[in-house]
Parts: sequence; structure tokens; C-alpha cells
Amino acid sequence: MREVDNANPSILNVSQLPSRSRKVTTPRQGPDSKCDNIVYSKRPWLCGSSSSEDEDLEEEYGEDPVDAQDIYDLISPISDPEHPHTLGQLSVVQLPDIHLTPPPAERRGDKLVTVTVDLTPTVNHCSLATVIGLAVRYRLEQTLPPNYRFDVRMKDGSHAQDDQVNKQLGDKERVAAALENDTLKGMLDKMLETCV
Amino acid sequence: MAQFKQWALEYVLADDEPVQLQLTKKAAKEIEDSRASSTVVGNWAASVHQWMTLTHSNDDGQMEDEDERANGDIVSRAKALGFLAGTLEALDKTILRPDQVQRLIGFFGAMFSYDHKAGITASAKALRQLYSMKNFKPEMGIKVLEDVSKLKEDFRLQTAVTRLELYELFLSLVEDPAVSSELQHKYGSSCGFALDLLQLCSSERDPRNLMIWFKIIRRLLTEFSPSPEVTEEIFKAFSAYFPISLRSSATPIGITAEDLKEAVRNCFSSHQRVAPFAFPFLMQKLDQGDAVTVAVKVDILRTIKACIEEYENPQASVVPYIKKIWGSLKYEVRNGEVKESIDATIEVLRAIARKLDGSKTHKHEVTLLKNYIDLVFGDCKDDLSNPTYTKQAGLLLLTVVTASIKGYVFYNASFIDIIRQNLRQPKSPTHTRDLLLLVNSILKTRIELFKNRKVGHPDDEEQLRSEPRTHLVSLFHDVYLPIWTGKASESDSKESDVLKQVALGLGLLVSQQALDTKGEVSLLCSGPICFEICNLLTVTLVKPLTLSSNDNQSQDATLEDDVVLALRTIVMSYTDGYGHILKTARKEIQKRDWTGPSEYSLEALKILLSRLAFIGCSEIPTQVKSDTEPEHPYSPLRHYDAWLRTLVYLFPLSAQSLTANSYILSSLHASVIWFRDACEARYGTGALAQYSNSDKNWLAEFEQLPGTFFSQTEGQSILPDEVASSFGEDDPETYLQFLRLSLFIVRGFYKGANSEAPWSEQALVQLAQTAALVVRSLDEKLQVSCNLAREAFSLFKTSEDKPCASPLSGLLTVGILQGLHPGAMTELYQPGGVAEKFICDTSDLGSSPRASDIKAAVGAIYSNKYPAGPAASEEYQTLKRGLQFWTNYIKNAVKSSDIDSGSFHSFTNVAMHTVAGAVARQEKFVLDLIPILHEAAASPSPNGEIVARSMGILVQPNSEVLNKESHANIKRFYKQWAYNFLVRPLYDLARPGSDKDPKATARYSIMILSVVKNCPFTVYQDDLESLLRLLVTALSNKMDDSVLSEEAAQAQVIAALEILVDILANEPSALKGFLKEIISGATKVYQESATSNKTLHKTLTTCRKLSLQVLGALPKTFEERYLLCFSRPTQRMLASACGDPVRKVREAARSARANWAKVV
Repeated sequence: MREVDNANPSILNVSQLPSRSRKVTTPRQGPDSKCDNIVYSKRPWLCGSSSSEDEDLEEEYGEDPVDAQDIYDLISPISDPEHPHTLGQLSVVQLPDIHLTPPPAERRGDKLVTVTVDLTPTVNHCSLATVIGLAVRYRLEQTLPPNYRFDVRMKDGSHAQDDQVNKQLGDKERVAAALENDTLKGMLDKMLETCV
Repeated sequence: MAQFKQWALEYVLADDEPVQLQLTKKAAKEIEDSRASSTVVGNWAASVHQWMTLTHSNDDGQMEDEDERANGDIVSRAKALGFLAGTLEALDKTILRPDQVQRLIGFFGAMFSYDHKAGITASAKALRQLYSMKNFKPEMGIKVLEDVSKLKEDFRLQTAVTRLELYELFLSLVEDPAVSSELQHKYGSSCGFALDLLQLCSSERDPRNLMIWFKIIRRLLTEFSPSPEVTEEIFKAFSAYFPISLRSSATPIGITAEDLKEAVRNCFSSHQRVAPFAFPFLMQKLDQGDAVTVAVKVDILRTIKACIEEYENPQASVVPYIKKIWGSLKYEVRNGEVKESIDATIEVLRAIARKLDGSKTHKHEVTLLKNYIDLVFGDCKDDLSNPTYTKQAGLLLLTVVTASIKGYVFYNASFIDIIRQNLRQPKSPTHTRDLLLLVNSILKTRIELFKNRKVGHPDDEEQLRSEPRTHLVSLFHDVYLPIWTGKASESDSKESDVLKQVALGLGLLVSQQALDTKGEVSLLCSGPICFEICNLLTVTLVKPLTLSSNDNQSQDATLEDDVVLALRTIVMSYTDGYGHILKTARKEIQKRDWTGPSEYSLEALKILLSRLAFIGCSEIPTQVKSDTEPEHPYSPLRHYDAWLRTLVYLFPLSAQSLTANSYILSSLHASVIWFRDACEARYGTGALAQYSNSDKNWLAEFEQLPGTFFSQTEGQSILPDEVASSFGEDDPETYLQFLRLSLFIVRGFYKGANSEAPWSEQALVQLAQTAALVVRSLDEKLQVSCNLAREAFSLFKTSEDKPCASPLSGLLTVGILQGLHPGAMTELYQPGGVAEKFICDTSDLGSSPRASDIKAAVGAIYSNKYPAGPAASEEYQTLKRGLQFWTNYIKNAVKSSDIDSGSFHSFTNVAMHTVAGAVARQEKFVLDLIPILHEAAASPSPNGEIVARSMGILVQPNSEVLNKESHANIKRFYKQWAYNFLVRPLYDLARPGSDKDPKATARYSIMILSVVKNCPFTVYQDDLESLLRLLVTALSNKMDDSVLSEEAAQAQVIAALEILVDILANEPSALKGFLKEIISGATKVYQESATSNKTLHKTLTTCRKLSLQVLGALPKTFEERYLLCFSRPTQRMLASACGDPVRKVREAARSARANWAKVV
């Protein structure tokens, strides 16, 4: 087996990753909270037609255009090709490094949206940076609508050869050709297995 | 003679077992008929002579054909002997005389010397039969053993079945007391026969045989007294198998590896005479280091434990090896990582301590135990000051010290002293935490030891009476309090772990009990100390309420949770404590201004009330004496009573803050749930059955109390002292009295309830639900004798009480009705009664949708809980009138143009729920109503649409109101029943056709979908064909606005998609013929509902999500060839759906897109 580029990367705990669900307050879990959902129910009276109003559903079904957290949720579970951890855990993908233009609030209709993702390899000589970038790009293409354009790059100064890597990742022809390569495609599929 | 010969010949020639059995029976009968005369028995034995004479023909060097002949002879000879053995099996066991038995034993025994090929199986069988004969003498047993031993090396050449036969023979012989005493008499401690057996069976490998062989070995060791040399030989024989394992086999034999391990273990632990061999052997196996797997290590440890537990005279059998065992085992715990082996090691160490202590009937010399504990102490003491090993060393010490009461009494003081010394100079917060954990574990184990004091030796209780206790009592001031006060202000999470341990420790400390010299039980800590502890923890409990939201930065509620747990433990023993807690909490609550409370204050109040309810009502307090006189006499209901009193006192907190007031009733509801669960856990769910015949009228008893009794404040108990102290904590009467008390409180609140401030809808709902909970726990007779059916409408109010006129008061009615048994409802079906009037009154419906919901709930219960009675009865007629009233009302109202859709909605809601109650119990009268409802729904007026859409309610009665726990009458197959009459006839009518009114067909279609949506798949699976056509039509045809309103059309689409999802999950193959329509339909639905429309936003979103779910499920169910032609357009559509503005829809789209991406 090839020697890994970074044998001891720092790893974040899953609970430390940025997440939308944790922004919502979780119900209290004290020893006394057994009856909470009965006695402090949000829906006090379930009877008849008018009671189908459901606050939770309201929240869940509210309009919420694609934002940086959404993009983060899509790409952070991708597995690293070397370590049994996700790109999120290894901080290769970081929420502040994801940008959408125009920002969600200013978006109207099916206008073009550009997603910029800056990746931070765990070491600056990482030989798999291109593969990781390709996986991120591939995942985004698979999961976002056609009016989205992607710009996946290495963060400035995070990689010794970031110019070259960025050039490869930005070249549509080369990306398409890479996806034709069975070995590479197999590797990408393996990395994307952890995405649900 | 000739006869026997003939039978023998037939037996030899026969292949069928039944035929052979028949022949042996005949022979046995013949012998029995002759009363076993010597001639007949002789003839019988000689009948096989012709096969026996050829026995010497298979010497070496014979020609091949002769060999074959000899083999043929072997088969027939074996069969011939089988004939004899079979006859013995069939023979009456009392008939043969001793000399005959002896001769036969001689004959068959000889086979083991001469005929190893043919004779053994039959002879073994015959010998077992002979052993069971009445005239079998013990000395014959010795002969049998001697004869069989002559088989020597050839034993292992026999088949496993034959060997099994012999093992069983050996086992019966050694287990026979007469034979074994004869064997001992003859061989003494040299046990020559045993050595022969060991030699014979030395290489056994068959699991079934081994199981018996191990039993024989155990018998040899326990019942005979082999000399040390022989014991060693025997030990070698079974220890060679250790550790034993079993290869997995394709044909299971009913024996597991665990059985074999257990059998070998039984050999090891059979007798203390094995000890000198067993312990060194096992220790040597254990000390092999990494070569031993966890499973083997656990096996070894369990075997050691079995030996320690089983050997008698521990002074001689266990003590000499303790040092060695301890030396090996301490590292297993100190440095071990695998939980299984650590647990097994702890078990061994505990077993040693218990063995050295003695048994229930006999205690050993105390020095044995002391020496052992000293040994462990010496090694572990220093480790307590090393944070890395504190936990492990503590575990070891705890194990040996608390294994027995004696050990505990002698050593706990010095153990705690060492911990205390270390706590003075802790190395880190985790070190402090581990040390505290240890003190807490000692306290916890002490509770267990105390509880079990009566189970053991009488000395144990004696020891506990005189145990030193001051070091335990002083734990509070010396250990817990300084740590608590030192760290309470810090918010570091490690420090908070320490505080949690202090809180739990304080709980354990207060619940410690002690025996005085007279043997009476009381609390270990004095009243003032308990009081101090209680106060200390209460400060933390009420802290969130005393601080403002800015000051209370602590996000972590786990310390508070542990304090709550500790307080609960405390008040269960120190019963005065709960009163103090409530007093403090009440003061703090009142200190706040509740006129316009902040979110933070409300949340703090909610949590505090919830915790208080938990602390006092989630368990039944125990009665323990304290050194100070209690403020009130003990009663199992004391805490509950005090809590209710506090709630009555607090309500209402303020006329303005409706939420805060409702929280008080929420916590009342919670405490009733907690206490009911505690009663059920303590007395069992059927505990109330013994009181089922009570015809007491509690309400009448309550009436006798003075009018101000409910609102009396300060210190008063609701339950009179003489009632409260009349039953103990173990008396199920507690449960009944709890319900009585709860009913009293519910009644009190009901009397004051109103729909204006300080009451709110939320408060009324909680009160009603509490009432439902209490009422439903009462049995039918009590409900009748308390006349609760009447109270459901009068709401316990008398003329003096303020009437509750608002429609919301119906909530309270529902609360009581919900819990009633049908049998207790009879009164409500009186013609012209209050219930009928309430139900048939439409005047109060227009005001709010709630009013319609409430009436709907009352209607549902009313029509569901009708107690079965004759069809001609007045009650039944009243019920019918109620049902008829509503269906006719709808029928007429639908045509009227005066009624707006909002009001009509309310009417339909009530009507449908009322009928649904009757549908749930399959009331036949409903069949008369169905055509009326069909007609109303098909009516051309716009309101008909509302009826059609509400039809689903009929098969979906409100489960909150009608459920089995609340004694509702819900038939198992009622949906099937309703579907048959309600939907089946409509399929034809709903099919579009040129001759039909499109509006009517659309209505029928809505009706069908609305009902089917609420039915499980099995109900409608027979009509899939017709149903699918309707579904496809609903998805693909956009209805004209004149035919169907936008809202109804969307609802229909949602129903269709939901049904499709259900069908996809149950019988997807049915969709095969409709794939094109479904895919294009779902795509169309998605695209059409992607438009933004504020009023229908939620419906449209649901449409989009469901259509994507349906699309996404298809590739998972159907092969690619069916879907390939739709792949491209669908994938394109799904790709753009990934940009949907709603997140949940995007998720569905992504999952569908991933599924379709595989279709290429």
C-alpha cells in the first residue's frame, strides 16, 4: 500500500461539525421530562378538521432557498480517500469557505447561481487533492439543479501546487474525461458511499 | 426350542425394525408364560447358537472370500445377539432369577473379551437391560465393569452409538448407591476400576459421549474416595480437555460448546480433593499471557470461580492458593481493558471473599477473611492516590470489602478513611470524581447489604447492629460539603462532573438506614443533617428561577438533573424533606412578578414545576424512623398530597399570564401520570381489581366537606390524618386512595374553571385530560355510584358555583366522558336528556372552529360508548335520533344557499365524527345513514364537496378521544366493514362516462379517495384495478373549476399520491400496467404545484414532496426495462426539482434523482 500523505490528521467530532438541526432547540432530556410531550404538547387538542394546523409542519415546509449550509451538508459527508473520516471531520470542507452568488436572499427565479467551494487539504503536498476536488464537484453536479455552476478550488496557499490543481478542476473537458475513467469513477463512488 | 430358533432366524433375516420388535416381544412373552423356567430360558439363549459357533474364523492370513464370509457372519451374529438383547428389553424386569441374570451377565460380559466386532453393541444393550432387572445384585455390577474393561484399546474402535450405550451403562452403575458402595468396599481408595475406565475412555471425542463421561468422572471424584495418585490420574483425564470447544457441525446434535464447558467445569469443581491440581493448572493456563483469547480467559475465570464456590473446607482447599490467585488476577483488573474478563475476574475475587466468610448456616474463622482483605488492601491502597489506577484499585477493594457484611463492617471505615485522605490532596478533578464515585459505590452497596441482611446468617444482622457509623455520618461535613461549596461556583465541565457525584452521593447518604441495638431501623443521618442536605440541593433546584436570563449562563442542565434525582432519593426516605423543598420553591415562585413574565421565566417555571412533580410523585415514599419527630404522620400519599396542596395554593399565579397558569395544571397532569405509573409499578396493573365492587359515592363524601376546604391554604392536608395513616406503603389501597384524592382535586378545579382569565384553553385542556386519566382508572361500578355521567355535563358545579357558559367548557365535558365505561354512560341516553340536547344543538357552533371540534368529540364518544341494549329500548332510539339528526341536518343544509362554507364545514365535522363513533363499533344503523351521506355528497351545491372530502373521517375516528385505554368500543375489522358499504358501491359511479354528470363522478371519486386514504392496504387490495384507474385520473386530469374547487382538487391529488405510496410499499406489481400514466401524472403534479400560491402553500408543497416520493420509489421496485423510456425526461425534471425552494422537497428530489440515475 502507498504511504499516506498525512498519517495523523486532526479530526473533528461529528457533534462539532456545523449543522442546521442543532440550531433548533432540542427538547429537554431530564429525568422528569417523561410526560413533557403530553402535558406541554404544542398541539393541545387533536380533534376534527381545524386541528390539522401543525406548527412543526409549518416550519418544515417553509421556503428556504439553497444556502451555504445546504452545500456543506451535501459535500461534508464525502469520505476521504485515505482516512476513514469524512471531509467535514478532516476540515477539508469548511462552512465559511462556501459561497453562493447571488446570495440566497437576492435570488429570483431560475437565474444562474455560482457555488464556490474552497478546499483545504490536510497537508500542502496532498497528492489526492485533485481527486477530492473532483469528488466534491461530482457530488454537487449530481445533487444540484442545472442552473447551478460550480467553482471548486484549493484555498489560497493551502496546497503547494494549487494553481495546477485549480486549473484541472476548472477544465470541463478534463473533468468529463476523468469521469469516463473507470478506476477513477470507482474511487469517486466509494468516496460518495457515505453521502445519504 | 424350535420356536425360539425360528424366531431368531426370522430376526436375523428381517431388516424392518417393527418386525424385529414383534419377534422379540413374542420371545419375551414365551419366557414370561413359562415363568422363566430354566429350560425355556436355556432354549432361548441357545437359539442363537448356530451363529455363535463360527466366531473363530477370522484369523489373520485367511483367504479373501473367507474374510467376506466372516464379515457376513459378523453381521448375522450381531443381529442374533441383538435378538437376545431385544428380548431382554421386552421382558418383564422381575421375572429372571438371580442365577439366570448372573449367567446372562457372564455370557454377554464374555463378548467383551472374545467378540469385539459383532458382540459389543448388542451386549452393551443387553447388559443395560440386565442392570435394570430386579434381581441384579451389586456384585454383578463389579463383574460388568471388569468385563467391559477388557475391551481395552478396541473401545475407541466401536461406533459412537455403541460407546454411548456403554457410557450410559457405566453412569448407571456408578450412580447406583449399592453398586458404588460395593465398588468402594472392594477397591477402597486405590479405585482400580476407575483407572481401568480412564484407560478405556481416554480418547473420547464425541460431544454426546463426553457429556456422559464428564458426569461419570464427577461421580468418581465426589462419591468415591480416590487416593491422591488416583485423583491426579482422574484430573489428568478431564483436564486434558480444557479449554474445550466444539466444532460447528452441519447436523446439530443438541449440545452446545457452553454445555461442554459447563460439564468440564463441573469436573473441576466436583470436590476439594482436586484443588491441589486444579488451581495450579488453571493459574498456569491463565498466565500464558497474550496467547489466551478473551473467551478462554473468561472460561478459565469462571472455572476458578466454580471451584471456589463448590469446594468445601476452604481453609484447606482455597486458602493455600489465594496468594497465587490474587497475584495473577489483580493485573486483569488493574491493567485490563476487556470488560468481559474484568467482570469475570471481579466475580472470582468476590467469590473468594464470600467463601471465606462462610454460608448462611456456617461462618468461618474471621481471620481467613481478614487475611484475604489485608492482602488486597496492601496491594491496592497506594493505587488510590494514582489517578490512572484509582478506579481499578477502588473496584478491587470495593469487591472484596463489600462481598459480605462481615468484611464490610470490619473494613469500610478504613477504606473510606483512605479515600478521604486522598480526597484532601486530589491530583485532578477527574481524580476527585473517581474517588467520590468510589464513596458513592460504597454507600450504594451498603444499601444492598442492608436490604439483604435477613437473607444471610443471623450473625450478619448482629454485625450491622454494632457497626461503627460516625465515619459515614461525617461524610457530609468532611467530604461532600467542602467539595460542593468549593466548586459550586465553577462552571468547568470537569468540575460539574465532580458536583454531580456529590449530588448523587448526598442522595445515597440520606437514604442510608441503620439498625439500633434493639434491631429497629432508622435513618443513619440525623434530622438536622438531612435538612441541611436537602436545603443545599434545593438551592440548585430553584436557581434558574432566582436568576435572570443574563445571569444564568449555564447551558448544561445535567447537574440540575442529577440534583433532581438525588432529591427524589432523599425525599423517599427523609419524608419531611419534600415539604421543605416545596416551601422554598413556592416562595421563589411567588417572589417573581407573573404579570408579564419573560420567555425565560416561563421556561424556568415550567421546568421547576415539572421537576417538583417528579421528585415527589414518581415513587412511593418509604416509611423509615428518624431521630426527629416527623411533621406529619407517614402516609404513602403524603408527598402527593403536599404537592396538590401547593398547586391549589399557586393557582392562579396571575390573572394576566395565562401560560404560567396553564403550566400549573400541566404539572398537575404530569404528577397524576407519575404517581399512577409508580402505583402500577409497585402494586401491579391489576391492583385495583380487588376494589372493583365498591359502590361508594366519593362525590357525596366530598360534598360533606366544608365549602372552603379545597381552597384552604398553609400546611393543611387534603387527606384526613386518620385516612392517610390507615394504610402502609405496601398496601394497594394507596392506589385507590390516590385516585380518590385526584378526583377530589379535579372536582375542585372543575368547580372553579371558567373560559375567562385566569383560565385559558391550554389550562382547560390539561385539566380535562387529567380528569380523563383519573376517571378512566375507576371501574364501571364506581363511575356509576359516583354518577360521573351526570357530572360530565354539570361539571361538578352546584348552584353556588359560577357557571361556565363558553363553548370551551365542552372541553371539560369531553374530559370526563372520555374516561367513562360504556356501562356508566346509560343515563346519558335518556330521551330528551342533557346529552341529547347538547348533541342536537347547532346554535353554538358558528362561534369558533373549536366549538365544532368539541361537539364532534362529544358526538363521537356518545355514539361510540352506547352500552349494548335491545333495539326497542328508549336509549337506543335516543342514540338513533342523534345520529339521524346530524345526517339529516347535513342532507338539508347542503342544499341551502344560506350557509357559508365555514359554518358548513363545522356542521360536517360534527356530523362525521358523530357517525364515525358508531362506525367504529359497527353499529348496524349506520347502514341506513350511508345512502343519505352519499346523496348529500353528490349534491350539485358547492357544499357537497365538503361532505365528500370529509367522508374519510368515518374510518378515522379521533384516536385521542376514542381509544382502548379509555374503554372505547373499537371493533377490529371496522374499517373493512365500513369500506364495504361506504366505498365499494361507488366505484362504478365514480368512473367518468359521457352519460354521467362530471360533477357527480368527481364527487364520488373524492369520497372514495378520502376514505381509502385512511384505510390500510389490506382493506382495499381487492379493488386495486378500479382504484388505480381513479388514481391515475386524479393525477392527470386537471378538473374544470366549475366541477371541482382548487382546494378540493389539491386534496384529491394528495390523497391519490398517498395511496400510491401505500400501494408501492405493499403491492408494487399492481402498478406495472399504469407506469406511463403514473410517471407522467406525478411529473405533471410536480410541475403544476411548483407555482407559488400563498394560500395553498402547504398543500402544494405536500403535493410536490409526495409526487417526488412516488417517482423516487419506482426505480427501486421496477426493473430498468420498464422505466428506460421515461428515464431522460424524468431525470431532467428531477434535476431541476433539486432546486426546489423547500428543503424537504429538495431532499426527496435528490433521493429520487439518485435512484433514477441508475436507470441507464
